[in-house]
Formats: sequence, C-alpha cells, structure tokens
Amino acid sequence: MLESQPRSQTILVVGGGISGITTAIEAAETGYDVVILEKTPTLGGRVAQLNRYFPKLCHPTCGLEINFQRIRKNPQVTIFTMSTVAAIQGERGDYTVTVRQTPRYVKPNCTACGDCTRAVEMKVKNPFNYDLADMTAAYLPHEMAFPMRYVIAPQLIGTDEAEKVKAACQYNAIDLEEKESTFDLHVGAIVWATGWQPYDAARISPYRYAYLKDVITNVEMERLAAHNGPTHGHILRPSNGQIPRNVALIQCAGSRDHNHLPYCSRICCLASMKHAAYLREQYADVRVDIYYIDIRAHDKLEAFYRKIVNDPRVRMIKSKPAEIRIGAEDEPVVCGENTLTREIYSESYDLVVLATGMQPSYSIHGSLINVKMDDYGFIVPDDDNKGIFSAGVAAGPLDVSMSVQSATAAALKAIQAVY
Amino acid sequence: MTYISPLPTRKYDLSFARWVHRHIDGGDRLAMCMQCGVCSGSCPLGTTMDNGPRKTFMMIRAGMKDEVLQSDTLWNCVSCYNCVVRCPRDVPVAYILHELATVAVREGYAQARTAETNKFVKGFTWSYKIFGRTDERLVSLFYYFQDGFASGLKKLLAFRHIALGFLKVGRLPFGMPHSLRHRRELRKILTAATKIEAQPAKGGR
Repeated sequence: MLESQPRSQTILVVGGGISGITTAIEAAETGYDVVILEKTPTLGGRVAQLNRYFPKLCHPTCGLEINFQRIRKNPQVTIFTMSTVAAIQGERGDYTVTVRQTPRYVKPNCTACGDCTRAVEMKVKNPFNYDLADMTAAYLPHEMAFPMRYVIAPQLIGTDEAEKVKAACQYNAIDLEEKESTFDLHVGAIVWATGWQPYDAARISPYRYAYLKDVITNVEMERLAAHNGPTHGHILRPSNGQIPRNVALIQCAGSRDHNHLPYCSRICCLASMKHAAYLREQYADVRVDIYYIDIRAHDKLEAFYRKIVNDPRVRMIKSKPAEIRIGAEDEPVVCGENTLTREIYSESYDLVVLATGMQPSYSIHGSLINVKMDDYGFIVPDDDNKGIFSAGVAAGPLDVSMSVQSATAAALKAIQAVY
Repeated sequence: MTYISPLPTRKYDLSFARWVHRHIDGGDRLAMCMQCGVCSGSCPLGTTMDNGPRKTFMMIRAGMKDEVLQSDTLWNCVSCYNCVVRCPRDVPVAYILHELATVAVREGYAQARTAETNKFVKGFTWSYKIFGRTDERLVSLFYYFQDGFASGLKKLLAFRHIALGFLKVGRLPFGMPHSLRHRRELRKILTAATKIEAQPAKGGR
C-alpha cells in the first residue's frame, strides 16, 4: 500500500496480445479500471496468427473467443487500438502517459459488411500473414478481429480509389480526414505486455533465407497451415505451390547463438514438433527431418515429443546445420555434420523451416527512459519505478500457457501497486 | 618424447583439458562448446579430416591427449575461419587448432613431423625470416626439396601444369625475390617473439 492515496487506480496495459488481454481482464474482473493500448488494429497479437497450440493441438481462436467475450461483458476495460506510448511521466500511483494514435479511417459504426474491400483494387503487404500474400488496402485484419472493424491502409489515402471506397460504404463509416492524434492518460500502474517479434531470419546469412523461396520460418509455417492463411491451410512449397515430399525443420536458427539471439526461446522445439504433426496429418508419405542440438521438451510436453519421435517418417538428426546451399533446381540443400556419427551430410529438401526465436518487441521499437531492460532486451522490474511491470514475452521467452500465468501475476502486482 | 603438457593417465582425466584451458590462446572458450557441429559442418576440408574440430574438442575434454595431438585435423585446417565466424559460442576454433599443432610439433608427435602442412610452413617461415616476405617460388621449392632431390623433382613434375598455367597468365615472375627494406628490424622483432614464446606461461607448464 502507498503511504499516500494513489492519484489514479487505473491500470494501463500496453499490448493487446494474449498476455495483455489476460492482465487486463484479470485486473478488471477484480474491480479495477483498465486501459489496453494496442499498436495494431486488432487484439489477439501473435496468438491470433497461430494455427494450433502445442501439445494438445487445439485452436487458439477458442481461447481468444472466450477472452473477447469477457472483455465485451466488462465495462471497466477500455481499448485503444492503433495506439502506442509516446512518453511516460510521474511515479507509481500517478503516471501521465502520452498516447499516440494513428488513424484507422473507419468509424465505430462500421458493420464489417466488406463493401469497401470489394470496391478497392490496390494491394498492400499483409503483416498478419507475414507478407506471404498481399491483401486489399481496405481490410479486416483477420476473421476473429476484435474490434470487428475494417481498416484502411494509409497508402490508399490521397488516391482516387479512396473516394471510391468512401462511396462504397453504405453506412458512411469511412472518414478519410482522420488525423494522427495524441492524448494523455492518467494511470496508477503500467504493465508492459508488448510481446515479441520473430528473429529476422535473413540475418542468419549461411541459411540463405533471403535467396531461397523454399526456406521459410516457423511463424510462416503457422500461416501456411492455418485455414485463413495464404494457402487456405495447405502446406505447399512457396516456390511452385507443389506438395513438399521431404521437409527439414531446423532448430535453434539464430537462437543460443552469440552472433544472434544468445538465449533459448523455449517454444521453438515444441513448435517444430507441432509442425511435424501438421505435415504428417496433411501428407501421409511426407518425410520430416528435424535437425537439433538438444530437444528442450519440459515435463508435460515430453509426451508430445515422444509421440513425434516415435513416428517412423520423422527422423531426428543431432546437428546444427552449418549452411543451406542453393541446389541445382534452386532447392535448399542442408549441409553440416551429424554429431552422433561424424558424417558430413548435404541433403536436398522441398521445404526447410527455420525455427527462429522470439525477440522482445520493446527492445526493437521501444526507447522510453522509464523502462528497464535486461541484457537480452526483456523488461525487468525496476526498483526506482515501482509501478511498472511486465507480462508474457515482454518479460521473458514463454509459451502461451506460461504467458497467461505471467500475465495473471502481473495483474496482481499492478493491483497491489495502486491498491 | 618431451612432454610439456600433462599426459592423462586414466579415462576422463581432465588434466590436459585444464592445461588447454589455461595455456592455449582461446582455450578458455572451449568450456563454452556445446557440440553443435557447426564448425565441422562449415569446414571446407571437413570430409578429409579424421576427427574435425567438434570431435577434437570433445576428445580434449575426455583426456585423449595422444589421439588429439596425433590427429590430422590439426594439419588440415586451411584457415578459412568459417568456423570462427559461425561458432554460436564464440569459440576461436581455428586459432585453437593452430596452437594445438604447435604443441604437437614441440612435443614431437610423429604426425606433426610428417604432416605436409608442417613442411610447407617450414618453407614459409624460412622465406619470411630471410626476405621479410614470402616468395611463392622459393617457398614451393623449399617445400618440394626438403625430403631429398629425387622426391623434390617428382613433386615439381607433378605440379608442372599449375606452374605453366601461372606462367601463361603472367603470375610467375622472374628476377630476384622482393625483400623488406628493414630486414634487420624484422629480425629483432622475431628474436623478441621467440624469447617471449620460450618463457613459461603464467602458472608454469
């Protein structure tokens, strides 16, 4: 408890992914006012981009649906989408947070009918699908978007098509004049739930991700396997759209590596096991080779690991591949040393999936003086600033269930800070 | 043999590993090695080495000193530094192999004396000690003829196509070898370096 009463008992949650949503709901359901800031047009974050969860292979949409329902029913949660923190001033119990909101160009009376999408021809990159396919410049981020409201890409503004889109909206929900705005929030505690970004695979130069179309990352694999992804759930080679017959899954691509991310991201091993399961589920005759240094499947996850390695069409190769060469038909050729047999191998594959790690988003995009990071860029508790907390992957590399635990803990800490 | 480094007497004797950790440049980073295999996989001569760097490092840890210092891995390194650049644990792989090769020579391991790379290095050293530069023609001749005239001639004939090729593109110059202007200064530096090398390292050998 504070010596004096806090000026504000509102809790600010930065980030609307699974950790941010959980922190917000847990705090709101105990009676506190909560504000969520989300950088993108929709809540859900990376979890919405996943196809399935390990180890039970259930769909993330299920948990998101429940959480969105809880938010909808709770009047104490306020959401600002397309908003970021520009500055923080003050101390525990009395923070002034400057928020910058970029325009969505679509008003709240949007019914998500989709007339605007049909009226526009301009294509823009689709970050939801990790740029694997383009989308129209007036779009719904994804079918589970919350708030369920369309967005107009800033590239469209000022073109002739913008007027066409405006005219196509029969509810007059499009406001092309909307400008970037800045406003202040008064809060008592701040929880950073800014999550992560996949490590840029192009930086691992020996793996030639930038040159070989059939070398993809694990997050791209999730989109290929998802029914609302660019291939409608069929895992196909990006180079020619054919079914892959042999696939390599490479662990620790840019992780546990002093040249890249020095730490273990904890999720990639199991994510790759899950990818092996996707492939075997879709194609009975596919061969899957998993290249690994060591498999980190903790306690309850070991059963899932056992299930995958006992599959006769899945081969485990103990080796960190040294490089991926370009084959005669532009196919990826994985080269390295099998550390159990000392055999130097070089094998061609139809598809190679790099299990890249998680890099904390804040360490890339954030630069506020009030936030303390560890050596790897994860946000840690600051003794000089006791009203600021972190949850989920912003605090450390965690899987979804551990992120939810971390978020619940952060909610309790935030409540104690403004109590 | 004149051992300077300890010779392990039983299985999993760590005395040699500790010696490497202490006395080999970069040997302390060896403790970081996680046996991922990137070094051996990146090596352009990976298929011709008997053990490769990764296995060599594990053998050091297992106390297999004789096997390590007799292996041809130490001599097949071509110093491309792929392993050093790619090692996820910052182990200076090539540097460690080079220094182990020096240890093998110093302690008189047979493999070290007969290794072709070692013979070539002798020619290389001879050339820069005299001229302050390496003259490719003299280094090659030194290397060819150090085992006697007959074997030298044989080697020379075997490489004649390469020599002719070089001649054709004007890469085989005639005339005196280029030499350094301040050869005496260089000799002083080399003498000092030899003295430093002869000094017992910290902690004693």
